Amino acid sequence: MPILSKSKIKDVLNQLSQNAELFVPLARGDESGFYSWNSYQEGSDRLMLDALNVLLPPKSIVFPQTERMYSFTGNGTTVEIKETFESPQPRIIFGLRACDAAAIACFDDVFLTMGFVDSFYQARRDNTTIVAHACYQPGANCFCEAMGVDPTEPVNADVIIRDTGDSYIWESKTDKGEKLSAALGALLENKEAKSPQLQPFKQQANYEGVAEKLKGMFEDPMWEELASTCQTCGICTYVCPSCYCFDIQVKSWGDEGYRFRCYDSCMYSEYTLMAGGHNPRSNEQERFRNRFLHKLQFFSERYGKPLCTGCGRCIVACPVGINIVQIINQVKEADTSVRA
Amino acid sequence: MSEHKCNCENPLVPGVVEVIDIKDETPDVKSFFVRSIGGGVPFDVMPGQLGMVSLLPVGEGMYSVSWQEEQEYLHFAIKRVGLMTNELHRIEVGHQLGVRGPYGNGFPVEECKGKDMLFIAGGIGLAPLRSFIKYCFKHRQDYGKIQIIYGSRSYADLCFKDELFEKWPQEKDTEVYITIDNPEEGWDGHVGFVPAYLEEINPAAAGKIAVVCGPPVMIKFVLQSLEKMGYTDEQVISTLEMRMKCGIGKCGRCNVGSQYICLDGPVFNLAQLKQLPPEW
Repeated sequence: MPILSKSKIKDVLNQLSQNAELFVPLARGDESGFYSWNSYQEGSDRLMLDALNVLLPPKSIVFPQTERMYSFTGNGTTVEIKETFESPQPRIIFGLRACDAAAIACFDDVFLTMGFVDSFYQARRDNTTIVAHACYQPGANCFCEAMGVDPTEPVNADVIIRDTGDSYIWESKTDKGEKLSAALGALLENKEAKSPQLQPFKQQANYEGVAEKLKGMFEDPMWEELASTCQTCGICTYVCPSCYCFDIQVKSWGDEGYRFRCYDSCMYSEYTLMAGGHNPRSNEQERFRNRFLHKLQFFSERYGKPLCTGCGRCIVACPVGINIVQIINQVKEADTSVRA
Repeated sequence: MSEHKCNCENPLVPGVVEVIDIKDETPDVKSFFVRSIGGGVPFDVMPGQLGMVSLLPVGEGMYSVSWQEEQEYLHFAIKRVGLMTNELHRIEVGHQLGVRGPYGNGFPVEECKGKDMLFIAGGIGLAPLRSFIKYCFKHRQDYGKIQIIYGSRSYADLCFKDELFEKWPQEKDTEVYITIDNPEEGWDGHVGFVPAYLEEINPAAAGKIAVVCGPPVMIKFVLQSLEKMGYTDEQVISTLEMRMKCGIGKCGRCNVGSQYICLDGPVFNLAQLKQLPPEW
C-alpha cells in the first residue's frame, strides 16, 4: 500500500503546493490553525500534523470569514450591480481531522441542498481537495464518535492518511485523491503497514435520543441555569467548525461599494433584532437555548444529523467553562416526566 | 482578486429595478412600484412571497410583495421604521433599486380554492394579505364569499384606502369591515380593536379559511378569538416575520425551531405553528 514517510513530509507538502494552494495545520505565535504552506516560516511556525485539533478549524478555506458578493456603482439614478467573487483557485486542505471533515459535510448540506445552491460556496468547495487525517487517540475534549463521526474513516475525504509512527498510510478515496497520488509519484513508497487501533474516548457524551427528547424541553428550567454564566461572547461560534451563520453587510465610498457576507454569531442580540425594535431572542438565555437546540435538535430535524461533530474546541475556548458534553448528558439524564 | 461574471444564477445577487411610481398610503407607509430597467418584472411572485429590496448603499430589507401586476410591476408597501426604510421613504420616482427573490412559500392559493375567505389584518399587516385578496378577486370564481376585517390606530393609518372604501366593497360577494382604535372627528365607522370586532361580526367557521396578519399582540388575540369561534388549526393561516439576510434558508437568523421563515415560511397554518417553539 502507498506509504508516506514522515521524513519526506516537507517534500510532499512542497510538491502538493506546486499546483494548488495548500493549507496545513500550523502553530503560529499564540495561535494555531490552517495556514497556507507558502507562508510557512521555518523556525517560527510549527507543523501541527500530530496535534489533534488546532485552535481554529479549517472552515474559512471553504467559507471565508468575509467574502465579497457583488459590487455596485451609482447613487440611485443609475445603478449597476456586478457579481464578484474571489476566483476560486484549486486548494488542498491537508491533515484535517474527521470532526472537521464532518463539519464540512454539514456545510455541504446547508449551502448545497434544500432548494437553493449557494454558488459562492459551491465554487470553493468544488475546487477543494481534502486530505483527512484519521484519528486513533482521542484527545481530552474529543467526543466525535458520540456525534456519529467515525474518527478513523473521515467523511468527505479525497485522501485519508493514517499515522503508523514513522510514516502515514496514504489511502486515496476519490478521483481528486488519485490526482494527488499521481502528483506525488515516487514520494509515495509501496510497503506493507498496519493501521493503528482506536483508543477509548475520555469524554463520554451520550447523544442517543437527545434530539428527540429536546423537543419537549424548550421551556425546561435547565436553560436558565445553564445560560446563567454565558457571556454571549460568541467565541464558541467562532472556533466551531460547523457554525456557519452569516451576516450580509455593505461597504461603500462615494457612489460605489460592495456587499459582502461575513461570519455572524447567534449569541449576539443584533442577530435577530428587527427594524422597529422587536427581537424574538432578546435575552441571553433565549440565544443560548437557540444555539444548543440548533446544534442538537433543529439541524438534526432538518438534515438528519447534529450540527456538532465533537471536536471539543468550544469546551476549550469558553471563558466560563460551558461544556456541550455536559449539556448533552444533562438532557439525556433529565427526568422530564416530573415536569410534564 | 479577480472579478468576473458568474455563469450560474446566483440567488444572492439582486437585479436592478426602477421605481416607476410612489404613493403615500399613510403618514408612515409608502407604496413603491418597481419594474426592471427596460420593462417587465424582475421575477414572478405568488401571493405572500417575499422580495429583498436593496437601497444602495444603505441596506437591504425583506418585504412581502403586495402585488404583482402582470409583467408590469411589483408593488411593495413599506412602513418607515428603521434606518433603511427612513432612507427609502426619501427617494423619488426614477430611483433605481436592487431586488432579489422571490423567496418563501406564499399563501396556499390552490388549497383555498372553493373556500370562503376571511382576511383579518392590522396596520401594515394588510400589505402581505393584499396580494392574496387581490388574487382572489382576480380568480373570483375559484373562491367563495370574501370577508375582510381590517383595523388601524386611526383613519390616517389605514393602508390602501381607495381599495378599502371604494373598490373592494363593490366586488361580488365581498364584505369589508374597517375599524380604528380610537374615536376621531369625521369617522362614523367602527371603533375598537380587531379581535373584538371579529367576535362582534362572528363569521361562521364552516367552509372558511381565515388569513391573519398584523402586530404580534393582535395576532395573539385574533387566534384566541378564532379558536373560540370554532375555527380549527387547519383553517387558520398566518404569515410570520423575522430578521432576514439571505432569503434562502442559509444564513441562520430567521429560524423558529428547525424552520426558516424565509424559505419554509413565511406562511404557516396554526397547526404548523403549534408544532414550532413559541418564539414567533
